[in-house]
Amino acid sequence: MITGNGIVKTFKQRGSVLGGREVRALRGVDFSIAKGGAASFIGESGCGKTTLGRIIAGLETYDGGEIAIDGVPMSSLTPKQRQPHFRKIQLIHQDPYSALNPTRTIHQTLRAPLALRAKQTGRSRTWMDERAAEVLSLVGLDPATVLARYPHQLSGGMRQRVVIARALTVDPEMLVADEAVSMIDVSLRLGILALLKDLRERLGVSVLFITHDVATARYIGGDGDLYVIYRGQVVERGPVDTVIADPVHPYTQSLLSAIPVLHGLEQPGEQPVVPLEALEAGQDDAGCLFAPRCPFRGERCETERPLLRLTEGVPQEHACFYPERRSVIARPMSEV
Amino acid sequence: MAQATTGQAPGVRIDGLSVVYKTPAGELPAVRDVSLTLEPGSITGIVGESGSGKSTLALSLLNAVQPPGRISTGSVEIDGLGDVVGFEGERLRKARGAHIGYVFQAAQNSLNPLKTVGKQLLDLGRSHGVEDLRGLVREARELLGRMGLDGARVLDSYQHELSGGMRQRVGIMLALVLNAHLVVLDEPTTALDMITQANILKIVREVHAERGLTTLVITHDIGVVAEVADRLAVMYGGRLVEQGPTRQVLGDPRHPYTKGLIKAIPRLIGDIDEARALPGRPPTLASAPKEGCVFRERCALRMDICDTDDPAALAHGPRIVACHAVKVKEHA
Amino acid sequence: MSATLIPEATSATATMRRNFWQGVWRVMKRKPSRMAGVVIIVGFAFMGVFGPMFFPDHLPGNANAITQPPSWEHWFGTDPQGRDVLALVITGSRYVLLCATVTAIITVVLGTTLGLFSGFKRGRWDTVLMRITDMKLTIPGLPLLLVLATVWKFGSPIQMGLVLGLLGWGGVARAVRAQTLSLRERGFIEAARGLGLSTSHIVGRELLPSMAPYIAMNMLISVTGAVYAQVGLFFLGVLPYESDNWGVMLNLAVFQAGAMIQPNALGYLMAPLLAILLLTLGIVLVVDAMDEIFNPRLREE
Repeated sequence: MITGNGIVKTFKQRGSVLGGREVRALRGVDFSIAKGGAASFIGESGCGKTTLGRIIAGLETYDGGEIAIDGVPMSSLTPKQRQPHFRKIQLIHQDPYSALNPTRTIHQTLRAPLALRAKQTGRSRTWMDERAAEVLSLVGLDPATVLARYPHQLSGGMRQRVVIARALTVDPEMLVADEAVSMIDVSLRLGILALLKDLRERLGVSVLFITHDVATARYIGGDGDLYVIYRGQVVERGPVDTVIADPVHPYTQSLLSAIPVLHGLEQPGEQPVVPLEALEAGQDDAGCLFAPRCPFRGERCETERPLLRLTEGVPQEHACFYPERRSVIARPMSEV
Repeated sequence: MAQATTGQAPGVRIDGLSVVYKTPAGELPAVRDVSLTLEPGSITGIVGESGSGKSTLALSLLNAVQPPGRISTGSVEIDGLGDVVGFEGERLRKARGAHIGYVFQAAQNSLNPLKTVGKQLLDLGRSHGVEDLRGLVREARELLGRMGLDGARVLDSYQHELSGGMRQRVGIMLALVLNAHLVVLDEPTTALDMITQANILKIVREVHAERGLTTLVITHDIGVVAEVADRLAVMYGGRLVEQGPTRQVLGDPRHPYTKGLIKAIPRLIGDIDEARALPGRPPTLASAPKEGCVFRERCALRMDICDTDDPAALAHGPRIVACHAVKVKEHA
Repeated sequence: MSATLIPEATSATATMRRNFWQGVWRVMKRKPSRMAGVVIIVGFAFMGVFGPMFFPDHLPGNANAITQPPSWEHWFGTDPQGRDVLALVITGSRYVLLCATVTAIITVVLGTTLGLFSGFKRGRWDTVLMRITDMKLTIPGLPLLLVLATVWKFGSPIQMGLVLGLLGWGGVARAVRAQTLSLRERGFIEAARGLGLSTSHIVGRELLPSMAPYIAMNMLISVTGAVYAQVGLFFLGVLPYESDNWGVMLNLAVFQAGAMIQPNALGYLMAPLLAILLLTLGIVLVVDAMDEIFNPRLREE
C-alpha cells in the first residue's frame, strides 16, 4: 500500500553560538507495507523510528527519496494533491490525553472530521451521528456513555480508543501506532493491542507499529516485517518471529538481550549481548554506525559502512559484515 | 570508605499503614492497611498500576506525604531510626538523606536546572552538616566512576547537558553519597530505553551488594522487578494483594490480579493468543469501593463474601496473599 | 436504532450552554473574593449604563458650595463649580467604561486574530504579520496621540477607544502568537491537521477554545489598561476635554482646585481614584476564575 525508497531526513538544529548543527535522522531508509498488512519499527529513542512514522503519516516532510502510495509516486503531485493520499494514513499518538482537545466533548471531537467526510460524500446530518456511534462501537465503547463526556472523564485506555475511533472516521487504509500503549496501564494494554489486531482483520486496515517494546510489536504485526532501526539506518529487517528468535545484527541482539527476563517464569537466553559503553560518536564517522558500541567489531567495520542486504545462509536482510545468529531472548521455563 | 557490612543495612517494618487524602467527598484512602517487611540487605520491588498507591507508600517511608494527604494509622519502623511516622522537623530532615536515600521518579525533575551537579552536591552536604566536603566530592566522583561515568566531568555539568541515563545515575549517586543504607528508587527506569534500563538495573544490583544496602524499588513494570528484586510485592487499589520471593510469585502467582497481570503481558515467543486481557480498569481514589475486596469487579473467582469483606493478608510460608478464593483453596 | 441514542444536535448544544453557565456560577461561588469581584464589575457596568440616566444632563452647580470637603450632603464633597463629586463620578463613568470596553475589544480581537494566524501558519505569513506588529509597536503611542489631539477632539468615547485600541494590539498579538506556537505542537492539533480539517476550523474551533482563559484574561486586563491609559492622558492635560470623565476630574482636582495643597479638594481628588482602584480590584478578583471557567475539568470539580 505504501512504499518508500531511500528516505532521507535531516534536522537542522538551530544551535545558538555554535551555529546550526545537522542531525541525520534518517539515512536512506527503504520500507514497504502491503494493504491490510503489518510492519513494526523498533529501536531506541532518537533512532528515527518516530520520524519515519510521521513522514509516512504525512506529518513531516522528507529531504530525499521517494514515497509511493497505492502505486502513485508522491513526487509527481503537488502538496495539495498529496493530502488526500496521506489522509488514508492516520497516526495514533503516544499520549491519549494530549491527542484530544480537553475543551471539547467526544461528540464534538468526532463531529469535525465526520462533517468533512459528509461534505465530501454528500451525506446528511443523521449519517454523521450514526457513523459516530458506529466508530465508537467498533473500538469497543458505548456511544451513549461516552459521547457527552470530556476527555478527562475517561480512563487512559478509553481515551486511546476514542483516538482510534476518530482516526476511523476518515476511512483510513493504514494506522500508524507510535508507542500507542506505552502511557497506558499494563493491565489495559492488551485490550488496545487486541483492538488494533481486530481492526486489521475486520476492516482490512494495515498497521504500522512503532515501539521499543518488541513483544507488543509481535502481538499485532506477527505476520509482517520487523525493522530494527539504529541511528537512522535499518540494520535488520525480516519476518518478526525470525528476527526475534534468530537475530543476526549485534544491535538487534543487544536490544533483545536487554529485555527483562521474568525469572521464575522464564530463563535467560544463552548468549546475551551487551553493547560497549561509548563516548559521543561523531555524526558521520566513516564505517558502521554501531561499531563504537559493538563487541564484535572487526577492522572492516571501522572504515566501511555496511548496507542492508541479504547474504547467503541468512533469511533476513541485515547491515553487518559479520552477521552471526545468537540465541539471546528468554525462554519459558518449561522448555528446559 | 564505606564498610560493606550487612550489619549496617537496616530492616524496615511497615505495619498497618494507611494514608488518606482529603477530597470534596471526604477522606479517601490511597493506601489501606499495608504491612510489609524489608529484610536487612534485601531488594524488594513493589509493582502497581496507576491508583495502586505505590508512590504514596514510598513517600510514607520518608514521612513525606504532603497535604491534602496524611498518614492516618500505622507505623514505619526503620532500624537505627525508630518509627518515622512520629518524626518531625529537624529530626525528619536529618533522617532523610543521611539514613534514607530517595531516588525520584524521572531524576531529571529533581535536579536543579540552574546549578551544576557539583554545586547541588555541595548544597546537599552542607544542609546535612557534612564537614569534610572534599571527601564528599571524592566519594561522589568514585560513585559516578563506579557507574561508568567520568565523575569530574559530570560534576561540572548542568542537568540539560546530561542524557536520561546519566541523570538517573546522578540521582542514584546523590541518594548514596551521604552513606544512606536504605535506598528507595521510584520508577528508576521510566523514560529510559531498554539498553540503558538494563545498565541501570545492573548498577543497582551491584551497588546494593557492594555497599550492603536495603533497597526498595517502586515501579509499574514487572520486568524491572523481575530483574532486580529478591522479593516482589503487588499493590492494587491501595492494598498489598500479594508478596513473596520474586521467582515464586512470577512462577506461581496466587492472587487473581497477579495472575491476570502476568497473563496480560504479550510474550516474545510462543502462542500469541496465550495473552489474555484483564477486563475492567484499575480503580481511582474516588472509584475504589469502600468495603469488600477492591479487585472484585475484575475477578473471575468472585464470591459473595468478596462484596462485603476486605480479605485479610494471610501467610503461607514466605508467601502472603490477600484473597478469599485463595484462602478457601488453601484450606480445602 | 443508534439514532435514538444520540441526543438531537440542537438540544445538545442548548444543554451544553446551560451547563456552561451553571458551571460558571459554581466556579464563582467557590471563593467569596470572586463573588465580590463579580458584584463590583456588575455594579460598574450598571453605573456606566444606567447611572447617568439618574442625573440631568448638566449637573446643577451650587455657587455657594464650591470645592467643599466630604459632608453628609455631598459624600465626596463638591467640585470648583459646586457640583456633587459623587454624581460626577457616576456620570463620568460612562465615558471611561465605554471607551475602555471598546479598546479592550479592539485590542483583543485584532491582537488575537493576528497572533493566532501568525502562530499557526508560520512561514511567510508569520514573518509578514510580525513585521507589521513590530512596526506598530515601535510607533510611540504618546507622541502620536499628542499629534492626533491637535486635530481631533476626542469627544466621543468610541473614537477614543478606537484609537487606543488600534495603538495597543501589538502586545496581545505577540503574546497570543507565543501561546499558539506552543499549543500547535499538541497532539490534538496535529491530529486535526492529519484528518484534513481546515485551517479556519483548527484555529477557530480547536486552538481558540483552548486559549479561551488566556484571551478572557487579556480582555479583562486590557480594560484596566485602557482605563489607566485614558485617565492618564486626560490627567496630564494632553487631550482636550469636552466631557466630564474621571481623568478630567483628576486633572481639575490637582491643577485647578489645588488638591495637593488644600484639604478641601481631597474628596474631589480621591473619588475618581477610588473608583479606578475599585474597578481594578473587581477585575483582578474575577480574572482569578478565568482558568477554572474555561477548563471543563476544573469547572466541574
